[in-house]
Amino acid sequence: MSYQPNTYYTSRRQQNWSRNQNTTRFVSSVKLGPVAHTVIVALMITVLGLIYLTQATRATSYDYESQKIDSQIAELNEQKSDLQIENARLTALETVKNSSVAREMTTPVSTQYAQ
Amino acid sequence: MNLHLQKGSRSRILAAAIFIIVAIFVGRLFYLQVIQHDYYVGLAEEEQVTRLKIPASRGLIYAKNGDEPVQLAMNETVYTVFADPQTITDKEKVVEVLRNVAGGNVRTGFDTFLDRKESRYQILATKLSRVQADKIKEEGLSGVGFQAVSQRIYPEGSLAAQVLGFVNTEGVGNYGIEGYMDDQLKGVDGKLESVTDVSKVPLTIGNRNVNIPAKNGANVVLSLDRNIQSHVEQALKAGLERTGATEGSVLVMDPRNGKVMAMANSPTYSPAEYYKVEDAAAFNNGAISTPYEPGSSIKTYTLATGIDKGVVRASDTYNNTDSIKIGDNYVVGNATLGQTGIISFQHALTWSLNTGFVTIAQRLGDGKSVTRESRDTMYEYFHDRLRLGEKTGIELANEAKGSVFSPDEVQGNSVRYATMSFGQGLDTTLIQVASGFSALINGGDYYKPTIIDGYMTDEGFEQVKTPEPIERGVVAKSTSDQILHATQQARASSFGQFDKPGYYIGGKTGTSQVSDAGGYSDTETIASYLGYGGGDQTEYVIMVRVSGKDKILQGARDALPIFTDISNWMLDYLKIQPKG
Repeated sequence: MSYQPNTYYTSRRQQNWSRNQNTTRFVSSVKLGPVAHTVIVALMITVLGLIYLTQATRATSYDYESQKIDSQIAELNEQKSDLQIENARLTALETVKNSSVAREMTTPVSTQYAQ
Repeated sequence: MNLHLQKGSRSRILAAAIFIIVAIFVGRLFYLQVIQHDYYVGLAEEEQVTRLKIPASRGLIYAKNGDEPVQLAMNETVYTVFADPQTITDKEKVVEVLRNVAGGNVRTGFDTFLDRKESRYQILATKLSRVQADKIKEEGLSGVGFQAVSQRIYPEGSLAAQVLGFVNTEGVGNYGIEGYMDDQLKGVDGKLESVTDVSKVPLTIGNRNVNIPAKNGANVVLSLDRNIQSHVEQALKAGLERTGATEGSVLVMDPRNGKVMAMANSPTYSPAEYYKVEDAAAFNNGAISTPYEPGSSIKTYTLATGIDKGVVRASDTYNNTDSIKIGDNYVVGNATLGQTGIISFQHALTWSLNTGFVTIAQRLGDGKSVTRESRDTMYEYFHDRLRLGEKTGIELANEAKGSVFSPDEVQGNSVRYATMSFGQGLDTTLIQVASGFSALINGGDYYKPTIIDGYMTDEGFEQVKTPEPIERGVVAKSTSDQILHATQQARASSFGQFDKPGYYIGGKTGTSQVSDAGGYSDTETIASYLGYGGGDQTEYVIMVRVSGKDKILQGARDALPIFTDISNWMLDYLKIQPKG
């Protein structure tokens, strides 16, 4: 004498499936194996890497641009400094005293002051 | 048992081998990445991170040109050209380019340096300008390199050399304002610490970049007027040539605020070529660094002390016998004889009679001798109030203190104070005497002498606060007025004909003996002149000192004409109107 269950449990999913027996589902005929998956993951990592590199390179290109501007500023400052030195040399008292204009000047005999 | 050996022996050996190898790898990686982590991070940073010093620019020094600041000391970048003889490919071209472009900047025999193949570094030319360096760079010479160096230049040449000082090859300021303000002038170097590429371009990657900008040195504007300074130097040079003296100093200052308008010394030098100086004495600023016995110009101090203490007036009289006895063994005589009899102290000042001022010293005590009371009073006025024998604090390196013996010291005896009354027995500098004298004639306010008028900033010239006297009323206003009048009389009676008419000019000559071993030299004296000038108010004080080895010089003959030259020129330059 063996025990025979007379009631069976049917899951809700099975019940729904039974209820929607006309529903279709797409099953691709293309099957991706483990190699294909690996390749896809590798490609995705590569793309992400490229995006990162692009951004990093763009930041670096700004560095070069900044460096270029800094160099220009330094160059202009040097030129300014050179010109200031030249100006100081040209307007130095000795230079002025030895100029042709100074040689033509005379000492006044007397000075009169307006009261 | 046999089955087990047959099934696993080789596989297990292989597995064990792989396990061991992997374990070695893991162990090695653990060692490198975990245990040696800091070491390798350090190595990587050393490779990738560049640390640069951003040099601060040395501050500029300006003088005044009227009201406008003009540069006296600047910085210039110059280039040194060097070669690596081992990598030179075209020697002839290098020689030709350097001869054509560098000219006088090439080193003698530089072409032979290129043949020294055992060397990797040969300097071919120095102190090239940026334009010259750029021209050589354009030629693209292989094996030739450049080194930029900042050097100090002085566009006015030797003007105010001792006031400026110089900067040595290590960039350290010596003497003058360069030495005194070296810390402020040199600024603070900045720091750049960043990941760089192979060309050393800093990149923003990394999170530990440091960029501390350099703080450039302060740009100082001196109170010197370059036109006055230039004329004073000319006048001093001409005066030395005329008298045969070999050393001299002149100081011009504004008695109303203590600002130094000119400070000249001879012999002098060019600060840019300081290394050519053979005698280091040329670096000394005699106006502040060389104490000497000031001689008769100190008689103005003694007279002021007597007037201020109420014991004499310039018009008071005494009996001049051309000599006066101090203690038992010491007799003071006059250099100028014959003005004997009852004469005024004004007369004694005019003729510079020592006896008159010893008499004042005596009257500060019991009237008969230079007592302790006399000495205390003189010390109070000379040292405490008018600051003789103390550094003035002017902003220049190597200021000397001089010496005035206190009555508390053994040397501060009656004889010393008797001689101090006419300028012997004390050591002072020109700046001390002129600063004290300024107080005597400006109404009685003592100003600390200063040579800094302001600073140049990005916004332009910023003048320092108008100086305030550090002590008011060192003598009474009435005393000051009497000293003004007395010194004016002293000048007018003997030398007034040399002055432009219509101005208030006063002064006092000085002829100092030079102390040597055991006494005073018979073959050498120092000539000086201390005076002032102006119209309605005193605009300038001038002090002149000239000397020379084994030269007998006199204040009236050798120093006074230099004062007169400068004073008459100053009246025109400052556009001071005569009194009508």
